[in-house]
Amino acid sequence: MKTIQIKLFSICYTLFIALNLQAQQTMVIIQGGTIHLGNGKVIENGYLGFADGKIILCDSQITAMYKNAHIINATSKHIYPGIICMNTYVGLNEIDAVRATKDIEEVGGVNPNVRSLIAYNTDSKVTPTIKSNGITMVQVVPQGGLISGTSSIMKTEGWNWEDAVYKMDDGVHINWPELVSWRNEKMEDMKQRMDKEFNAISDFFEQAEQYNKIEKTEVVNVRLEAMRGLFVGTKKLYVHVNSAKGIISAIQFFKKYPTVKIVLVGAADSYKLKELIKENNIPVVLSNIHRLPQRANEDADQPYKTPFELMQAGITVAIGHAGSWESRNLLFNAGTGVAYGLSKEQALMCITQNPAKIMGIDKTCGTLETGKDATLIISSGDVLDMKSSVIEHVFIAGEELDLNNQQKELYKKFSKKYQIKE
Amino acid sequence: MKKLFTLIVLFSHVVSAQTTFPVNGPQNILLNYYALTNATIFIDYQTKIEKATLIIKDGKIEGVGVGISIPKEAKIIDIKGRFIYPAFIDLYTNYGVSLNSDRKNNNGFQQFISNKNGAYNWNESIRPEADAAILFTADESKAKIFREAGFGAVVTGLQDGICRGTSALVFTASGKEHELIVKEKVTSGFSFNKGSSTQDYPSSLMGSIALLRQTYYDAKWYKTQNKEKNISLELFSQLQTLRGIFAVNDKLGILRADKIAKEFGTQYIIKGVGDEYQRADEIKSTNLPLIIPINFPKAVDVDDPFDAANVSTADIKHWEMAPANAFALSKKQIEFAFTMSGCENANEFLKNLRKAVQYGLDERIALKALTATPAKFIKVENEMGALKKGMLSNFIVCSGNIFDKESMILETWSNGKKYFINENKELKTQGNYSLQLKGFENYILKIEGELSKPILSLIGKDTIKANLSEQFNMFNISFKPDKKSEGIIRINAWVEQKDTNTFPYQLKQLNGKATMIDGSTENFVAVYLDSIKSQPKKSDTTKAIILGEVVYPFTDFGWKNPPQTETVLFRNATVWSNENGGILKETDVAIQGGKIVAIGKNLKLNGAKEIDATGKHLTNGIIDEHSHIAITNGVNEGTQAVTSEVRIGDAVYSEDINIYRQLAGGVTSSQLLHGSANPIGGQSALVKLRWGLSPEKMKIEGADQFIKFALGENVKQSNWGDRATTRYPQTRMGVEQVMYDGFIRAKEYEQKLKIDATTRRDLELDALVEILNKKRFITCHSYVQSEINMLMHVADSMGFKVNTFTHILEGYKVADKMKKHGVNASTFADWWAYKYEVMEAIPYNAAIMNKVGLTVAINSDDAEMGRRLNQEAAKIIKYGNVSEEEAWKMVTLNPAKMLHLDSKLGSIKVGKDADLVLWTDNPLSIYAKPEYTYVDGICYYSLEKDKMLREEFRKERQRLIQKLISAKQNGEKVEKKISREDENYHCED
Repeated sequence: MKTIQIKLFSICYTLFIALNLQAQQTMVIIQGGTIHLGNGKVIENGYLGFADGKIILCDSQITAMYKNAHIINATSKHIYPGIICMNTYVGLNEIDAVRATKDIEEVGGVNPNVRSLIAYNTDSKVTPTIKSNGITMVQVVPQGGLISGTSSIMKTEGWNWEDAVYKMDDGVHINWPELVSWRNEKMEDMKQRMDKEFNAISDFFEQAEQYNKIEKTEVVNVRLEAMRGLFVGTKKLYVHVNSAKGIISAIQFFKKYPTVKIVLVGAADSYKLKELIKENNIPVVLSNIHRLPQRANEDADQPYKTPFELMQAGITVAIGHAGSWESRNLLFNAGTGVAYGLSKEQALMCITQNPAKIMGIDKTCGTLETGKDATLIISSGDVLDMKSSVIEHVFIAGEELDLNNQQKELYKKFSKKYQIKE
Repeated sequence: MKKLFTLIVLFSHVVSAQTTFPVNGPQNILLNYYALTNATIFIDYQTKIEKATLIIKDGKIEGVGVGISIPKEAKIIDIKGRFIYPAFIDLYTNYGVSLNSDRKNNNGFQQFISNKNGAYNWNESIRPEADAAILFTADESKAKIFREAGFGAVVTGLQDGICRGTSALVFTASGKEHELIVKEKVTSGFSFNKGSSTQDYPSSLMGSIALLRQTYYDAKWYKTQNKEKNISLELFSQLQTLRGIFAVNDKLGILRADKIAKEFGTQYIIKGVGDEYQRADEIKSTNLPLIIPINFPKAVDVDDPFDAANVSTADIKHWEMAPANAFALSKKQIEFAFTMSGCENANEFLKNLRKAVQYGLDERIALKALTATPAKFIKVENEMGALKKGMLSNFIVCSGNIFDKESMILETWSNGKKYFINENKELKTQGNYSLQLKGFENYILKIEGELSKPILSLIGKDTIKANLSEQFNMFNISFKPDKKSEGIIRINAWVEQKDTNTFPYQLKQLNGKATMIDGSTENFVAVYLDSIKSQPKKSDTTKAIILGEVVYPFTDFGWKNPPQTETVLFRNATVWSNENGGILKETDVAIQGGKIVAIGKNLKLNGAKEIDATGKHLTNGIIDEHSHIAITNGVNEGTQAVTSEVRIGDAVYSEDINIYRQLAGGVTSSQLLHGSANPIGGQSALVKLRWGLSPEKMKIEGADQFIKFALGENVKQSNWGDRATTRYPQTRMGVEQVMYDGFIRAKEYEQKLKIDATTRRDLELDALVEILNKKRFITCHSYVQSEINMLMHVADSMGFKVNTFTHILEGYKVADKMKKHGVNASTFADWWAYKYEVMEAIPYNAAIMNKVGLTVAINSDDAEMGRRLNQEAAKIIKYGNVSEEEAWKMVTLNPAKMLHLDSKLGSIKVGKDADLVLWTDNPLSIYAKPEYTYVDGICYYSLEKDKMLREEFRKERQRLIQKLISAKQNGEKVEKKISREDENYHCED
């Protein structure tokens, strides 16, 4: 009996959502809430309207009359742009410990041709838990090797990967050779390995640059083919590097290739090189600021305050989150940035406007401005603070998402079993 | 040359012949009777006699003193100006001793029992049968190195395994083993390292300790039984009549070894690693004598600032302070001997010995540590370590005071035999000489440089560098008369005259023949004029040695002076009391003597430091029910299904930087848990984060005892790769059986103990008996509902309760059953999807269990998350709507209850421990950070102190880096280095 009830409930819910989606062909106006634009600005008690998936109104007052508009009362609520999580492998990885559920790392060190969107599982059980925390877009990144592969920007909702992709093949990811203590290598071995890796990268980029100059090569090399976009500006190069010397050597190396636009990812030591990074106009994607300092002699709160230090230096900073299921905590990573220097709006920029800018999708998303996608979230409280983050609605391009997930279902099921209040 | 070689071989063969050996040809018995006269003799480390005579006969000292009569038969050797010392003794070597093992490689497969054939111990790393007297093979190339460093005899033993058998005292002389072994079974050897054993157990420090303890008990039991023949256990008992040398891996190892010694009523001699000054007071209080090495760490290359950042402050501080280790120990009157262990050659050893003296160590104590102390430790003080009548003639002859940089060991006598170390070094050639040589009439011949490395030049209208070589007091000099010249003038010269009134003998005149460029010969004469005034070098001893201070713990953010208990009045705080009053606004809290003494408004407390807490939140310190910080050398002894004998308390690591980082996150107490690699894991340690104190002092006094159990994928080894498929259990069915069987055996064991006093003491079962008797409590790692249910059934059937399920991610599915059983739940806020068994883990778990009425805690299992547990608690508000007060209790009062510490910890109540945190904001907010963290009324962290420490360490690093740079410039060898990060453990490690 219980099972039937639950099934019935689910069906009803699905119907409701379907009807809702149709309704949105007309205008929706969210009124009365605090609108956090994602660009640093806030509109108190504002109006946000959208139709056909685009924002047509975002203001503190309403001027025109909108017939048949669906009104969402957001008094005392907060409206934010959909959150963008960079540097994840959401959708590629279901269960960390079960190999069969992992599609994150291809064989061989140089794999720019492998594309994350191909394996992006829109039916993953993980994604709904991320979506319900307000994350509407993820940059899905292949892992491992020297050149791990090509990422795409995926929506956290979609029938299949074609449907879910927001920007296809946005960038190539490279793991820069550097000295690291966790490898437990002898110093000499480490240096030798680094030399080898560096030479491999160097050779490969020479090849790739030359290959790019030839419109139609005699023999097609899929790896080199995948690199073309880097030289013509359609793809970014994401350089995963943490150490100061790694950052310097990467920046120096890519000066040889002025058309290649690089982004630093991870970049734990970036706080030591603010001027260099700023001068070269390189954006930084910090990954998991909820982490331990790199070294015993670092300030205990260094990872927490790095976003502030970089932003103060005028660097475009995004906060990303490595992993899959863990990504749902991205917003709280940004919140920690606030405890250590950022303003709340600056912290929000690190997970909305700035990722959009860095990945080149800021013309259509990342902030709540007219003409952009109606990708947004409504929360009853501050989303950067777990204590008050209760996300009530999520829209991607005007479509409201189903925020239910397996975890919530289980919560309901067992609350009912014990007859406790949810 | 070949002839000479043959002669030497023949000669030495004859000398080493033994009484029982047949002789090939006529016997060649030599007169071993000498009188060394006019020497400065150290008859012991503190008694120096001048112009003295040492008479030795057949390897023994016949007489020593000033003006003693010399028998006619003795060959007199005048060694005026030279110093004689008792030869050194090294107590920690493996000279000529190793295992001839043909060990199998297990290729990653598990090995549960010893591969060794014969009736030996089940564990390969317990080797009481290793007898150095049997294993010893003389090795001239190694003996030579010891003699060069001044050692006449060494204790040698197997340096492999946890019990290393017995050692032997051997001469460093050449010869057959028969005459070299002075004494067998001199000491026994122990360590925490299993060495070359290929067996899985033990894989951790705590496992090594448990194995050694169990072996002590087994050996005792063995004597009372006749069912089993076990050579190892038989011999282990015999070891106990010997003095044990325990080789530790760091300063804290000394404290660990001491605990074992006290348990078994023995006293080890500790072989340390040279970092003892970092915990000198604690080491002093053990009263254990030490053997310390003087292989000082190499300087680090810090020329590259970014690379230099990868070296920890502890490493570079140790580089600076290691040479002062011996001095620091001597100041504390800790008794120690020196070992050459770790030094690559005699040169390094002697250089570092002098360095230790230069860093403040009294020469007499240094000498004592090489002679009298080691002799006393092994009870051969009547034979060695001094030069007295009747003692062995083991001594060294030096060109001067051995602690002088210029001084050299000329001879080492071992077993009555003389070995030249620096031959023909009695001549001092340095000085200015007037030169008589055609064409160079007005030139001065100048010889500079060190005694052993003379540098020659001719000084006249210009300075000509010449080559100089010497053998058997004959010199060969060659030089270009001027730069343009193509030819070379070559000279053969010999010592015509020397001054034997001094030592070394000053060269007075060289005569010789010069072969000129055209082939003609000319006479060559050089007559001594005067000595060369040496210019003091930069690095000379005259420069005062400045050292930084020892910090506690010896790492970044350690204290020079550990903080003290304060009397504090927190004024006007929002107080999260966790008591009936709930959250108290604008309230004062007073602490004194480590306790909370008053809560109220407008409190007054004499002598209290007032902290204005207006707008701030005062709470209890966070208690992490599930932590793996501050543990060294293995968090899991996962090599067997049941390892209840191991104790995290044996491996607490007080120097872990994560202790400080967690104080900065408001954590004040933690349960340090064994990992989850096996169904019945190890015993926990409950600690307070008393940053700077020793491991024992971190432990919470009088706390109940806990133990880790585990269920599911980890204990089944599901994710350990395809080779880990042989250890029982591999299924959840098997896990149940391991648990049942364990408790059934424990019950039987308890019965046996009651009726038979000779029952084998079993540390593994002891812990299980304690559980049955409610003297030890289970924290069980658990995920899926079936296994949770199972353990409660096992417990019920055995008549005890499970104390806590930790992780318990499917607790929400059986919360009602858990409530009925009365078990607590300590869970993650939102972890899931990292393995199959957590696919139905939900972040609402804590809230459901809480609402069902369980005591629920949120834990970390992770050094990083451990410093943000307040945020993890706040997630339970988001996921499941619990109140702020309830959420906050999940990281304070509730874990205190689970750990049976709530009478002292977990709420703000008069009389409870002053473990308090003042937060800048609501502690559940992402925007909050601790401003002060107090443990026992001692401020171990505050924003202000943190700022001060950062500055202090920034300066200290800067000073040390500048010092390293100048060391490199002064020619010290440097290496590039990345310091190892602290071990960050999780359950699975």
